[in-house]
Amino acid sequence: MRSNPIYKRERTVGSRSIRIPMILTVFNCILALAALLNMYSMVAQVEVTAEIQYSAFLELYVFGAVIAFVMILFVMPALTAGSISGERERQTLDLLLSTQVTGLEVAAGKLMAAMHHVILLFVSSFPVMAMSFVYGGIRLWDLAFLVLSFLVAALFTACIGICFSALCRRTTMATALSYGMLALFVAGTYGINQFIWSMANVENVSYVNQIGGMGGQVNSGGFLYLLLLNPAVTFYEIIRGQLGRQETMASVGQWFGGRPDNPILGAWVPVSLVLQVLLAGVFLAAAVWCLSPGLPKGRRSRREKGPGAAK
Amino acid sequence: MLKIENLKKTYGKHPALDGLNLTIEKGALFGFVGPNGAGKTTTIKILVGLLAPDEGTVTINGIDAGREYQKIKGLVGYVPDSFGIYDNLKVWEYMEFFASCYGLDGLVARRRCTALLEQAGLLDRADFFVDALSRGMQQRLCLARALIHDPELLVMDEPSSGLDPRSRTEFKELVQELNEQGKTILISSHVLSELAQMCTDIGVIEQGRMVMGGSMKEIMERVDQSNPLLIVVRGSLDRAMAILRSHSCVRTISIKNDCISISFTGDSQDEAQLLQQLVDAEVPVTRFYRQQGNLESLFMEITDHEDKEVLQYEVKPDL
Repeated sequence: MRSNPIYKRERTVGSRSIRIPMILTVFNCILALAALLNMYSMVAQVEVTAEIQYSAFLELYVFGAVIAFVMILFVMPALTAGSISGERERQTLDLLLSTQVTGLEVAAGKLMAAMHHVILLFVSSFPVMAMSFVYGGIRLWDLAFLVLSFLVAALFTACIGICFSALCRRTTMATALSYGMLALFVAGTYGINQFIWSMANVENVSYVNQIGGMGGQVNSGGFLYLLLLNPAVTFYEIIRGQLGRQETMASVGQWFGGRPDNPILGAWVPVSLVLQVLLAGVFLAAAVWCLSPGLPKGRRSRREKGPGAAK
Repeated sequence: MLKIENLKKTYGKHPALDGLNLTIEKGALFGFVGPNGAGKTTTIKILVGLLAPDEGTVTINGIDAGREYQKIKGLVGYVPDSFGIYDNLKVWEYMEFFASCYGLDGLVARRRCTALLEQAGLLDRADFFVDALSRGMQQRLCLARALIHDPELLVMDEPSSGLDPRSRTEFKELVQELNEQGKTILISSHVLSELAQMCTDIGVIEQGRMVMGGSMKEIMERVDQSNPLLIVVRGSLDRAMAILRSHSCVRTISIKNDCISISFTGDSQDEAQLLQQLVDAEVPVTRFYRQQGNLESLFMEITDHEDKEVLQYEVKPDL
């Protein structure tokens, strides 16, 4: 099987860049600092109370997972938003596309390079994350499931970045739109539910005042299922399930007014992971479409004013 | 080798190509000439599969570029007018990367890269980073890159722009060497004197249409024919004008100082006859010659640059 030349080149160039070592260093420094402080506070507590707080190790696990997840959300668009627009700015995209490399290979190569960096990030954090196994509470399966959710979140955010990178001429614009789209999925879906639920509550209160009796339970309706596309909610559900804190962490089904159980709410994490992978595929397909030469006139004319006119 | 038929491309409302037709024979070194915005780069981008035409067909070796553009990419090497380089890539890595883009790997790729770097005179710089090379060297590297898959057609869009005279000469020699080796080359350039020296064929594009095309010899003959006949007389301008106005081959007459410039459709025999008429009428002719033709004058004529200070008369056909 022919290896992807774009991925090979990105690996070579990436290995000579300071960017990835810097990200790894910062990420692992934060994790290591958290672990050290956690261990120190626990030992100090043992000295005073002679009791070991085993839950503190789980907090370390949660803290590490949150840091890793936030890093993915922040790092992936930055890594991918300039991947294709950067080629365009460097005037190397035409050289690439004039070869037998297809638009799909370009987009896939960029995606593989970004995922390569994320996997490196996870693997490098394993020693610190493994500290949570010292006193138990987290199974290997839990960790594997968490890594799977990270990979899906990374794929999702990377595909958003690649899509806008293929669509925009400038990296700054691609980066802004990538973060904007991500914010729409993470904060926007939550905000929409909050808004709809608030409106429903207002209507309910006025109705109750009119009839002077008891109002029924209101919720945000079908808008809740928009949260299936929110990687942060998926991550929350995974952590909630692993910690088993039913009383302090409400399930998504209880959010925005609550609702009776149904098959989607029951299989929230797998459904949301599958949907996010599918949506990532749509973003990647859009990027490939932008890189194909058979682009309709209007789209291309907005992106380029025409090579002849440029001279 | 290459056949373009009725090629059309529009950017918004602006037509870049308006029914372009072009044929290039195998082994030709074809000069593609035209003013800015005439549609040269659009044509080239369609040829190399970077743009899709709105209408028309491009066939290379009988293969339709619109339907099988991936196949066409294996037949065409492309040197753009301005090209980028990758930071942190060495010259041999750059070549091997593009070799892998054409599915060449391992020893085959390495041998091909070595041969091309040697031909481009860059073998001793193989371990240099690409961005450390001079502009001329980068251009030669770009040419070597375009040849990595041994294409049958090499398309170059103003390849010598931004090069100093020495680099330009070296680049020209390299292009000629490739043409002698049997490569069909399409080269677009604004350095018309350079094209005139090396091209076997030439095509002139204006407003998205091919306005003139053929072998360099034919074109230069046509250029000479279309150049004005210059006659310098000492006095007796009226007598000279009367003869010129009555001559059937004279189309327009312009006078600038003592020099009469006429557009003359006749051949060299008609020219001799006209001179004889002037001498017989005792017009003191001090100079009588065709203005020397070159691609620049052809280019200026096509792009319609007129000398506004010249007094011009239109000669009626019945005179």
